[in-house]
Amino acid sequence: MGYHTSLYLFVFLPIALLAYQFTPKKMRWLTLVLSGYVFFWMISGKLVIYLIGTTIWTHYIGIWLANLKMQCKIHTIGKEKQEIEITQKQYRKKERLVLASGILLILSVLAYLKYYNFFVRNVNVLLDTADSPILLQAKTLLLPIGISFYTLQAIGYMADVYWEKISAQQHLGKIALFLGFFPQIMEGPISMYSQVTESLWEGQGITGENLSQGTVRVLWGLFKKMIIADRLYVFVSAIFNYYENYSGVIIIAAAVGYTVQLYMEFSGCMDIIIGSGKMFGVTLPENFRQPFVSRNAAEFWRRWHITLGTWFKTYIFYPVSVSKIVKKWNRFGRKKLGKYVAKVGVSAIALFPVWLCNGLWHGPRWSYIFYGMYYFVILLGGIMLEPVKDKWIKICHINEEALYYKIPQILKTWVIIFIGELFFRANGLRAGWQMFKSIFQSFEFQKLWDGTFLTFGLDKADLIVIFAGCIVVAIVGMIKERNLLGELGIKRLWLPIRWAIYYGLILTIVIFGAYGNGYQQVDMIYAGF
Amino acid sequence: MDSLMNILTELDSSVAWEKEEALIDDRILDSFGVISLVAELEDSFSIEIEAAEMIPENFNSVEAMRKMIVKLQEK
Repeated sequence: MGYHTSLYLFVFLPIALLAYQFTPKKMRWLTLVLSGYVFFWMISGKLVIYLIGTTIWTHYIGIWLANLKMQCKIHTIGKEKQEIEITQKQYRKKERLVLASGILLILSVLAYLKYYNFFVRNVNVLLDTADSPILLQAKTLLLPIGISFYTLQAIGYMADVYWEKISAQQHLGKIALFLGFFPQIMEGPISMYSQVTESLWEGQGITGENLSQGTVRVLWGLFKKMIIADRLYVFVSAIFNYYENYSGVIIIAAAVGYTVQLYMEFSGCMDIIIGSGKMFGVTLPENFRQPFVSRNAAEFWRRWHITLGTWFKTYIFYPVSVSKIVKKWNRFGRKKLGKYVAKVGVSAIALFPVWLCNGLWHGPRWSYIFYGMYYFVILLGGIMLEPVKDKWIKICHINEEALYYKIPQILKTWVIIFIGELFFRANGLRAGWQMFKSIFQSFEFQKLWDGTFLTFGLDKADLIVIFAGCIVVAIVGMIKERNLLGELGIKRLWLPIRWAIYYGLILTIVIFGAYGNGYQQVDMIYAGF
Repeated sequence: MDSLMNILTELDSSVAWEKEEALIDDRILDSFGVISLVAELEDSFSIEIEAAEMIPENFNSVEAMRKMIVKLQEK
């Protein structure tokens, strides 16, 4: 049951909303938790036990950490400064151990279910090369839906309690709600405990205002997914699945097509998810902010899958960069090698685990690991070249805000994104490399207009609909980027225009949506991660 | 706290540091800038900045940085 299916939109969501509204305010959290578990069970069946297990474990670790902090305070009352420091150190060690155990257990479950067979495959290749008679056995492992998302949320919660950013939650229901809110269970956004839990717990009634705002957001998501992404899926699959037959401009079109498909699909699903949350009065964090106006790869990642980037920055990048060993290197580097080398060194050490984890998080494939390393190299290259760029801008008196500078920067970022997504989507790293190489073989520009593009499962009308849809999304993105409608957003428009937009959206989805005969229902891409 | 201003000016002299209230949120100070700043602050004020302190609220303004430094010195 994807968020774009009729089962979710016309059955599950309305029933959950009604059940929520008819439950007494104090018990509404329970309705949300149960709805989450039913939703999970409808997709992953008895694997819901993993979610329940993670919830209990996360709650337990939080309480354990809170108890240690309390004991530490009690044991330091009335003691000398030196004794206090020793006691605090001892307790800090214990807390670190508890946090490590907490994270290790849930990460082990994720690693076992998601990466075991990948590990076996690769070890077997090595054993085979060494002519070993023993080979490891692969296992049939079922992956619970959303495990990559709720595991990160659980780790974030434990770390926040350890760092005292939040207090440990005594009520198991609040942790269950935080990890199991059904609109975000499959694809995120990856929230921090302090961002959403209180508003989920509050149990405020459904209001007309929230319902209408949520509905518009859901419709906008359906527009992106059903009109653009699901159409592009046909075109993209036709090329990526038979990539050996194509080269040059066709491969470029496939890379661009897939990038647009992924954006429309993932951000569209986010709109449905955030809209669903809004209906319950919950504001979930945004995951996209006009990524295609980015001027470099670093900015792109601040605008694309924002909550994943924020999670990696908060729980990997900063902890690594302020760890004792990195600080030592930083001091040594700055003294002996200069600030520039120290900065590049620290950035490399802190960025490497972030991008390795980013690649691995997407799944057990070498192409995903390559994708992570690709961005690691590009971002590090950006840091290394920064002084040269600054000097060049100064010498040439370049106005960084002028269009003649901005547009080439944006186009350069597009190329980086398209190449990255080509490898991301390709059926394996070897296929990705073959496709990339084939761009430079028999380019054949004329295929852009000689009708070749109509042989990939889409007709002229489909291509026009995709193109028109993209223009609409670009215009809306521009309005958002320039904040033309202010905080009020669409509410600022004259009522008849607003209603014309609402009806227009519904009619466009009904008429131009890629569903029914001739179209295949397309699963949500990120639900597979 | 004059040394804080010296550190910030050395980091980027084009920024009106005292006036800015959203250094992190407005991306005036990026994560790499924050790492460089942390190293300078630790050396100049004999403090230890841990991962728990790495939140935008502590680096969004000069005042927030001052408060964090005082808090860590008292620790």
